[in-house]
Amino acid sequence: MARNGLADRLYQGEANINIIGRRKTWFIVAAVLVLISIGSFAFKGFELGIEFAGGTSFSVPAQTASGQELTQDQVSEGVDRAIKTVDPAAEIGAVQQVRSTGGGDAYFTVRAPDLTAAQAETAKAALVADLGVKAEDVSDDRVSAAWGGQVTKQAIIGLVVFLILVMAYLVVRFEWRMAVAALSSLLLDLLLTAGVYSLVGFEVTPSTVIGFLTILGYSLYDVVVVFDKVQENTRGITASSIRTYSEATNLAVNQTLMRSINTGLVALLPVGGLLFIGAGLLGAGTLKDLGLVLFVGMGFGVISSIMFAAPVLSALKDQEPKIKAHTARVLARRAAVRSGDVAPRAERQRQPNATDSDEAPALAASSPRPGARPTAKRNTNRSGRPGGAGPRPSGGTKRR
Amino acid sequence: MHPGRQLGVLGLVFVVLYLLVFFAGGASGSFTDRLHPKLGLDLVGGTQATYIASVQGGQDPSKESMEQARTIIENRVNALGVSEAEVVIQGTRNIVVSLAGKSDDQLKDLATAAQMRFRLLVGVTGDVAESAMNPSTATPSASAAPSTSSSAKPSTSASAPVANASPSSGGQGGGEVVKAPSPSTPPSTSASPTATATPAPGSTAAVPGQEQVTAAEVQKKVGATAWAAAQKLTAPVDLSTDAKAGLAYSPFGKLTGPEVNALTPDMQFNIPTISCKQLDDRPNGAIDNVDTKVAACYNGAKIMLDKAPVVGDDISKASAQLDSQNGQWVVSLDFKSEGQTKWANLTRQAFQATSADPCYVAAQTLYSSIEHCAVAVVLDKNVISAPQIQGVLTSTSQITGSFTAVSAKQLADQLNFGAIPVTFTSGPAQTVSATLGIQQLKAGLLAAAIGMALVAVYAFFYYRLLGSVIFLSLILSGLLTFGALVFLGRTVGFTLTLAGIAGFIVSLGVAADSFVIYFERLKDEIHEGRSPRSAVPRAWARARRTIISANTITIMAAVVLYIVSIGAVQGFAFALGLSTVLDLLVVFLFRHPIMTMFANTKAFLSPRVSGLGRVLRRAQTDVKEA
Repeated sequence: MARNGLADRLYQGEANINIIGRRKTWFIVAAVLVLISIGSFAFKGFELGIEFAGGTSFSVPAQTASGQELTQDQVSEGVDRAIKTVDPAAEIGAVQQVRSTGGGDAYFTVRAPDLTAAQAETAKAALVADLGVKAEDVSDDRVSAAWGGQVTKQAIIGLVVFLILVMAYLVVRFEWRMAVAALSSLLLDLLLTAGVYSLVGFEVTPSTVIGFLTILGYSLYDVVVVFDKVQENTRGITASSIRTYSEATNLAVNQTLMRSINTGLVALLPVGGLLFIGAGLLGAGTLKDLGLVLFVGMGFGVISSIMFAAPVLSALKDQEPKIKAHTARVLARRAAVRSGDVAPRAERQRQPNATDSDEAPALAASSPRPGARPTAKRNTNRSGRPGGAGPRPSGGTKRR
Repeated sequence: MHPGRQLGVLGLVFVVLYLLVFFAGGASGSFTDRLHPKLGLDLVGGTQATYIASVQGGQDPSKESMEQARTIIENRVNALGVSEAEVVIQGTRNIVVSLAGKSDDQLKDLATAAQMRFRLLVGVTGDVAESAMNPSTATPSASAAPSTSSSAKPSTSASAPVANASPSSGGQGGGEVVKAPSPSTPPSTSASPTATATPAPGSTAAVPGQEQVTAAEVQKKVGATAWAAAQKLTAPVDLSTDAKAGLAYSPFGKLTGPEVNALTPDMQFNIPTISCKQLDDRPNGAIDNVDTKVAACYNGAKIMLDKAPVVGDDISKASAQLDSQNGQWVVSLDFKSEGQTKWANLTRQAFQATSADPCYVAAQTLYSSIEHCAVAVVLDKNVISAPQIQGVLTSTSQITGSFTAVSAKQLADQLNFGAIPVTFTSGPAQTVSATLGIQQLKAGLLAAAIGMALVAVYAFFYYRLLGSVIFLSLILSGLLTFGALVFLGRTVGFTLTLAGIAGFIVSLGVAADSFVIYFERLKDEIHEGRSPRSAVPRAWARARRTIISANTITIMAAVVLYIVSIGAVQGFAFALGLSTVLDLLVVFLFRHPIMTMFANTKAFLSPRVSGLGRVLRRAQTDVKEA
C-alpha cells in the first residue's frame, strides 16, 4: 500500500503529471515537428511505389531455353538481381504467372520501378543471362499506376466531407472549441506520420494509404475519449472556485492516462506482431507497409491526444470570457487562502511531480491537489492525488 | 434488460449469421468449401483480360483518353462489388484488368464504349434475307423478297429539319430528299447531294483505323456499275415489289462490316443488298458520330436515324428501376439542365410531328398503331429501343427495352460513369497466379496469432480474470467477422486481400479499446467506494456514452469514404464499417451482460481473481481512513 511508484499512481489514475501547464512546450515541439515535416514534403517528397507512379513490367517466359520450368520465386529473384544491376535501390513489385485460358505458354509478369529504355535493355540482358531464358521471349512494357489519380482524388474528397461532418458532430456533441482541438490534433497526427514517411524515405504503397486512413479513425477515437472525460470534469465548473478549467482538463488527462497507455499498448501489440512478421520474416511487403504506418501513426495518435489535443483545448478555453473570469476568480481565491495560510508548504510539496519554474502562471502556484487544502493530509507521498482525500464522490472531483 | 436476454440476442445473431454462411447467398460445395471467404488477387490469383485500344487515324490514343478510359473501366469493375480489382494501362494501347477468382463473365463487357445517343427515327426499310445477300448466280432467286419481321413496305428516307417534304427541298447537306411516292419508281429527279463518291467525312472519323477502308477501295470491289447505281439511290429499294431490283446492287452484299462502314449512311440504308448482319459487323464506334445521320437495325428492320441532339453526357444520373406497372426493368434517366432542354426539344419534335413528317411515316412503318414519332436510344452499335414519344418530356425519363435486373443496372452504371473515349477490342482472358501466395497469408495469420496472444497476455496480467472477458470477446469478434466475411464475399463480392486481413487484425486490437474504457471506468467507480454490483451499471452507463461517441465517428468515416471514394479506399471503408459495427455488437450484447453477471459473484471481489482487486482494497482502506 505504501508503495506508490509511478506505475501504481498511473494505475490509480493519479499520476498527476502536469501536462496542460506545459502546453507552451508541447506547442513549440509540435510546431517544430510540423515545420520539419512540411519542409520534408517540399524538399524531399515521397518515395512512391509502383502502384502510384507506374513502372516497367517485364514479361518472362515460364520455361528456360533448355525447357526447364521456372518457379515464381526464381523469376522474382532473377528479376530482382537484374534490376539491381541497373538501379541498386530499386525494389520489384508484384510477380504473377499468366496463362491463357485457351492454353498456350505461360509466362511471368514482374513489375519493377520505372526504367529508361537503356536501363531496361541492360536489365533484360542480365535477366537472360541469369535465368537462361530466350532473349526474344523477354519483353518489357511501361505500366501505368494501378492506383489512379481518380482514387486519390475521391479519397481526398471523402476525407474533406468526413472532416466537415465530424466537425459538425463534435460541435453538437461537445462544443466548437473541442471540435477544433480534436481536428487539429488529427491533422497533427497525419502530418507527422506523413513527415516520418517523407523524411525516412519509406516507400508509399496502397497498403500505406489504407493504414494511414485507419489512423484517422483511431486518432479521433482517442481524442474523443479524453474530451468526454474533460467535459465531465468541467461540467458546471464555473459554479465552484476550486479549480480552473485548465486544471480540470489536466485532471481529466491524468485520469484517462492509464486508459490511453493501455489502449495504446493493446492496439499496438497486434500491429507490432504484423511489423515483426512482415519486416522480420518476410522482408518487404504488404504486412510490413501496413504494420509500419500503423505503428507510427497510432503512436503519434496516443501521444497527441494527451500532449496536444487537451492543451489546445485549454488554450482555446482560456480565451473564453466566462472561463477567463472564472480562472481569475479561482486564482484570486487561492491567493487569498495562501497569503493567510500555508503558501510555502504548498510550493514545496509540489516539487516531486510538478515542473520547473517556467510553467504557465495560471498554474505556477496553484495546483489544487497538493495540499493546498489542509484536509489533504492522509498520506504525504500521495499528496498528488486529485481531489484531496476521503471518499471520492464530491461535486468537483466526481469522476466520469 | 436482463443479461440473459442480451446474450440470447447475441446467440441468435450468431446462429443466423452462420446459417447464412452455410445455406444462403449461393452456398455450394462441401462443408468446408462454404467456409471460404473470397480471397483477393494477391492471395489466390485470378483472371485477367487485356483490352486493346483501336488506333485512330494511324495514331495511338492520347495518354489522357487512355487514363480516362482506365478510370471508367475501373469504376465499372468496382460497381460489380467490393472486389479490389486492378486496372492498369500497359504500353500505350492496352488496358489490363485483373479480378480475383474465376471471373471471365464479369470481365466480358467492361470495355464497351457506352456511347449513348438519342436519335429521331426517320426511315425504315426491310432487312435483306440471307439468300438474297449472296446471289450465287446472275439470276436472282425469285424468293429474294426480304423477310423482314416488321413491315416490308419501306417508306421514305427523309430528314428531320423537315416540315415541308416537297421534292424541291432537296439540296440541303444530308437533309435532302424527296418524298418517294412509290419505291418501285425510283425518283431520278434529284440525286442526293450526300451520295457522292466521297464518303461523309463524319461517318468515318470514328472508325477504328486498323481495318480502315476507304470508299475508293469499296468502289473498286463492287465494280463501277453497281457503285454508280447505288450512287443514284435516294430512297431504299423495295425488293418486295420488285424482286429483281436488288440485282444491280448484289456486289454490296459481299462487303464486310468495315467496308460497309466506308459507305455513306444513306447508301448503307438505301442499298437493298446490305443486310442487318453487315451493319452489325461494322466496327465499334461506327455510328457514334452525333453530327450525321446513321443507318442501323432494329427488330429486324433497317432504320435510318437522324443526327443525335442528345447524348449520354447530357445525362446526370441513371438508375435501374423495376417498373411497378408491367414488372419490367427500366433505366430511369435524369438529365443535366442543358441536356434536359435538348431532350425536351427532341421529344417535342417527335411528339408534335404530323403525318406528313418523314419521322411519322417511318414510325408508322415500324409500329402498327402510331400517333407520334419514335426516338431511338442507341448504345454503341445497338439500338436498345425506339419508343414512340408520348409527350414532351421535361423531367425524369425512362428507357424501356428487354432489360433484366443485371443488364439494367449495367447500363445505368455505364451511363453514370460516362462513355469511354476510345474504342477497344478485347483480347483473350488469362488466368494469373497469386502475387503473394499462401505463405504470405500464413505469415499474416501467424502475425495475427502473435498479436492476439500478446493482447491476451497483457489483458490477463492487467485485469486478471477480467482478461478472460476480453479474451472471449476477441474470439467472438473474430468468429463474427469471419462469418460476415464469408457471407459478404459471396453476396456483395467483398474480397479479402492481405492488407484487408491485416486491417481486421488491427481492428480487433482497436476493439479491445472499448474494454479498457469500460474497465477503467469500473475501476474508478469502485475507487469511489461503490460496491461492484452498483459500480457495474454506473460504469456501463458512462462508458457506453464514450464508446458510442467514439464509434459514431468511426462509422461516419466508413460511410463517407464508402460513398465518396472508389477502388481500394472503398474496400477499406467497407471493412472499417463492418468491424466497427461488429465491435458495437460485441460490446452491447456480450461484454455488458457478462460483466453484469460477473459482478454478482464473489470472485469478482477477490483481488487475486479480478483486476479490480487492488482498487477494491484501496477503496476499503480509504473508507477506513476517512
